[in-house]
Amino acid sequence: MTNLLKRRTFLKGVGTTMALPLLEIMQPQQNLVSAAATAAAGKPPVRTAFIFFPNGVIGPSWMPETAGTGYQLPKSLKPLESLKSDINVITGLAQINARALGDGAGDHARCASVYLTSVHPTKTSGADIKAGISVDQIAAQQVGHQTRLPSLELGLVRGRNAGQCDSGYSCAYSSNISWRTASTPTAKEIVPKLAFERLFGGGAEQEKQRARHLKDRQSILDLVKNDADQLKKQLGKTDKRKIDEYFSSVREIELRIERSTHEEKIKPPEMKLPPGIPSELQEHIRLMYDLLLLAFQTDTTRIATFMVGNAGSNRTYPMVGVNSGHHELSHHRDDKKKIADIQKIDEYLTSQFGYFLNRLKATSEGESNLLDNSMICYGSAIGDGNRHSHHDLPIILAGKGGGSIKTGSHIKVPTETPLSNLYVSMLDRMGSPVNSFGDSTGRLKVIDS
Amino acid sequence: MQMIEIIFRFIPSQFLRGVLCCLALMTSLVRANADQTDIEKSEKQFTTQIKPLLTKYCLDCHTGEEAEAGLSLEKYATRSSILKQREAWEKIVQRIQIQSMPPKDAEALPTDKEREVILAWFDDALFGIDCTGEVNPGRVTIRRLNRNEYNNTIRDLVGIDFQPANNFPSDDVGYGFDNIGDVLSLPPLLMEKYLDAAEQISEKAIFANTPDSYPWKKIREKQFQKEGAVTIRKSGAGFHSRGTLAGSINLNQAGKYEFQITAGQTPAGKDPAKMEVKLDGKLLKTIDVKADRSVMQSYKMPRAVALAKGKHVLTISFLNDFYDPKGPPGKRDRNLYVNEVAYRGPLGLLPTDLPASHKNIITTIPGSGRSVQYCAEKILKQFAEQAFRRPVTRQELRPTVELVNATVQSGRTFEEGIQVGIQAILVSPHYLFRIEGIRNFAQASSQGVQSVDQYELASRLSYFLWSSMPDKTLFDLAAQGRLDNPRTLQVQVKRMLKDPKSSAFVTNFAGQWLNLRNLEDLNPDPKKFRGFNSQLKNDMRQETEEFFSYIMKEDRSVIEFINADYTFMNERLAKFYGNKEVKGESFQKVNLDKTKRAGLLTQASILTLTSNPGRTSPVKRGKWIMENILGTPPPPPPPNVPELEESANAKPNATLREQLALHRKIPGCAACHDLMDPLGLGFENFNAIGSWREKEGRKKIDSSGLLPDGQTFNGPIELITILEKQKEGFCRSLTEKMLTYATGRGIEFYDKCAIDEITTNFTAKGYRFSALVTEIVLSDPFLKRKRGSRND
Repeated sequence: MTNLLKRRTFLKGVGTTMALPLLEIMQPQQNLVSAAATAAAGKPPVRTAFIFFPNGVIGPSWMPETAGTGYQLPKSLKPLESLKSDINVITGLAQINARALGDGAGDHARCASVYLTSVHPTKTSGADIKAGISVDQIAAQQVGHQTRLPSLELGLVRGRNAGQCDSGYSCAYSSNISWRTASTPTAKEIVPKLAFERLFGGGAEQEKQRARHLKDRQSILDLVKNDADQLKKQLGKTDKRKIDEYFSSVREIELRIERSTHEEKIKPPEMKLPPGIPSELQEHIRLMYDLLLLAFQTDTTRIATFMVGNAGSNRTYPMVGVNSGHHELSHHRDDKKKIADIQKIDEYLTSQFGYFLNRLKATSEGESNLLDNSMICYGSAIGDGNRHSHHDLPIILAGKGGGSIKTGSHIKVPTETPLSNLYVSMLDRMGSPVNSFGDSTGRLKVIDS
Repeated sequence: MQMIEIIFRFIPSQFLRGVLCCLALMTSLVRANADQTDIEKSEKQFTTQIKPLLTKYCLDCHTGEEAEAGLSLEKYATRSSILKQREAWEKIVQRIQIQSMPPKDAEALPTDKEREVILAWFDDALFGIDCTGEVNPGRVTIRRLNRNEYNNTIRDLVGIDFQPANNFPSDDVGYGFDNIGDVLSLPPLLMEKYLDAAEQISEKAIFANTPDSYPWKKIREKQFQKEGAVTIRKSGAGFHSRGTLAGSINLNQAGKYEFQITAGQTPAGKDPAKMEVKLDGKLLKTIDVKADRSVMQSYKMPRAVALAKGKHVLTISFLNDFYDPKGPPGKRDRNLYVNEVAYRGPLGLLPTDLPASHKNIITTIPGSGRSVQYCAEKILKQFAEQAFRRPVTRQELRPTVELVNATVQSGRTFEEGIQVGIQAILVSPHYLFRIEGIRNFAQASSQGVQSVDQYELASRLSYFLWSSMPDKTLFDLAAQGRLDNPRTLQVQVKRMLKDPKSSAFVTNFAGQWLNLRNLEDLNPDPKKFRGFNSQLKNDMRQETEEFFSYIMKEDRSVIEFINADYTFMNERLAKFYGNKEVKGESFQKVNLDKTKRAGLLTQASILTLTSNPGRTSPVKRGKWIMENILGTPPPPPPPNVPELEESANAKPNATLREQLALHRKIPGCAACHDLMDPLGLGFENFNAIGSWREKEGRKKIDSSGLLPDGQTFNGPIELITILEKQKEGFCRSLTEKMLTYATGRGIEFYDKCAIDEITTNFTAKGYRFSALVTEIVLSDPFLKRKRGSRND
């Protein structure tokens, strides 16, 4: 209960101090509740996001040459120049469980499914799907109850519609990075408008209706939970697992309803959103980043994941003159033109990430800003796309994690240091400490302030 | 799963002799699985004969942590350890078989004889199954309705086609399809959407019969008259000084009506704007409008008014105009603004235009001795039996009936109660999942095999061919216990394929079998392909769907998928193909002269989705043909080896064909690419969006080729003529895909028996499409299930 109380006092301070940078798509609005806390309301919470991009990078133009604070941002990271003191570029990390380890091809599927789980996934096209619980979900299960949504999962592209995704791995592995349980990926929202409604509810009318329905929902969920219970007794093992999934989802919504009846009502911010998926990629990416910002700003959730592409994505990037597919190009075999094209994609994606960081930074929160109170991990579990390597991963950790992270450096860790070490350190700061995670061998102490 | 023999179709005959020999060996061992002593024998043979060969030829590279391709084989010391990793070994064996492993440049290569011994042993161990006795029909994990199935089921259950599932998160794909029980998960996000959808559906389907459920009807601009300083615009009316606004309405039902006015003021002076509302000259209320013009508010009249049928007039007057030029800025001129005037009713009387779904669901209402409980039970039983696709007991329904009762007791209408009850049904696991095995009274065999229940069978059929719930005919046959009769099934399959609902089979099965759905995410380079746009892309997809649909509905031979001399076009697509005859938006059958195009392989959809955004990919096309036409999907390329065509830096000006030839020199690649590349190159006359071309740049296209078995061809039509003879591989592959889709699970080794039987039977019936579907429906995996868990 203490957490809940804290949150309420915290929210009271909200709305008074507001210096919200406004995008053209956002209408200024008096009542927008910002999570900008006054100093009196105590320390703002730490927000955490994990952002994933596919196909690795062109290392030489992504990895800085020298370590420490005096480093030069290489070409692909140039868009982050103004944010250099707010980020750490961490190189040398590895996701060893994304390697074949006897399972043969399928590096892209493993890249996504291992990125946040650090567990070697079972190779299967369908039966017995098994990865691991992802780092965001570990935290969501511990501290997610403090906010209206335990976590938020965003993406830009649906899971693949048909056919094979990657060499004998079910498409579930390629299109999800967040896993609630070892066998249940947490589905992602790709339509900005729907993501918004999930965060803040629909229009006023829809909300009124929802409030009226809340009690009905509770009774209904109670009733179907019993159904599920009965069913479980009658079913075999694999079927039971499905009913367990059902049960735990029902349970989570019940908890959410319980919480929402205690919460003070947040007036949703105003944001004009297209009904479907924007046709321009840039608009789509930015809307998703805007939503992520709003989710953090209003303290609707503190934990999020965002897939900028599904693993092995073959999307084109015409806005930077790349009209061949990303994956196709990533196997460049040292072809200069292809390398140049991939570099353009890398840089483009970095610039969009920079857009997000700049907005976080421009959002003040008490005496600091939202970026200072966040940890944004941006990266991939493939280093070199040409060779499908799973070491020397491109990782950026942005934000000071509420003052607990020292930023401004290029941190070179010993090669093969597990990425999961970083996650263990991040989990500490998310208020859900663990002794170990996946293949971790300790904490990544170099980020400590 | 792929049987070994199929792989060899294009392998040179010199090696084929070895294969035949190995097949002969196989037959003698085929009963191995059934017999304990045979298993022991096989185990022993592994230790004495196979393991040493693997050690000799494989372990050099495939050992320990540094193993090539990350594939370490030394841990497999026994037959049973190999069977635990069946899928992995199927792939390994495939490589040994096509001689891509050990690589040709390895220090020691197995002799043909040794290769045969290895292959024969693996074929027996991995695929050997006795088809004479009872065969495991497999076990399907309960299947959650996927998005298409949810939409279609709601359409057929409630009669409302509004596609609530379009906002659901996408369903993950396994074994190439999105209806696989194991893969369909249910995260909280989806549960939330199920709840939202259930509410929307119940509210659309049933009129709640509360004052709130009557829609407000606006009085339109034209129906207003004014008096005094009033301006009327489409957006509303402004009272700049004293004035009156009169709106007239014409009621076609007598009864009680409510009125509401949305209004705001610009404040000035002490008092708020006073708005007087009269109906037919009688005062309803005088309202102080305190809301500002920029945030108008709705003012409801205090009570509903009983009105006769016919014309009535509502008048609104602004009573206290105020103007003070010396007042504070922005507070000098008090005006009244009215944005909207609306009424609703007649309250308490059911509207004359109730939705059909309301009448279908609400078959009785409480009163005249009928209790809420009685009526709720009657209504919900009927609904739940449809929704759960099986009979439902009173006891099972009791909590839902209680919920309806409690809702009504709390002061809400009976209809609202039913809405809540229906919501509970629509989020129940019995609705969301296709549950099997809980009402199965059939005797299970000693192996735990039983026939699926009649109602389960009805659902298996309807979701297979319609992606929706069973209709009345299927339910009735299930109720009568007649559905599993083979004659009945044959008749039903024919009927169902003819039904318009089978279009779901086209979009869902064909869309995934042929990967048509992936077209959506493809964006060919707009600079190179200026004519390409999303409309053309849709037309391309539709061409293939129409083509599939024709073969299905006209019950043609499935071989026409490869070699048909017809296709379907509308005007836009015809223009793309250079056909000037076809006119109009709708698709029509077009005959092909078979000089350039025939069958699926030359349709723009397939040619586009097997290309890269900027150019063709003979490798992708070749792979697609091997997978979908020949039924011999090549194993994935070894990890860390580039896609073959990507590495031609040595000769940057070489044609794609030359580059590919260079690549085939890499040991270990040739085995697959010797077949894959010529197949793809045979279609080089089609560019990356499927347009015909004679040249690329200044170079003439060479679409001739030599297949590994020595057959040669020149151009796509000659290649298709070779491919159309590969009937068995194609039919078998199609059978596997369709069986996967029909059962919602991956193919297991024990399905070999069923697949053999289906393939043999339907090819004997002239390769008819309906024969294939019927044989699948009559097969054990479709009609039976194994009790317990999949792995038991």
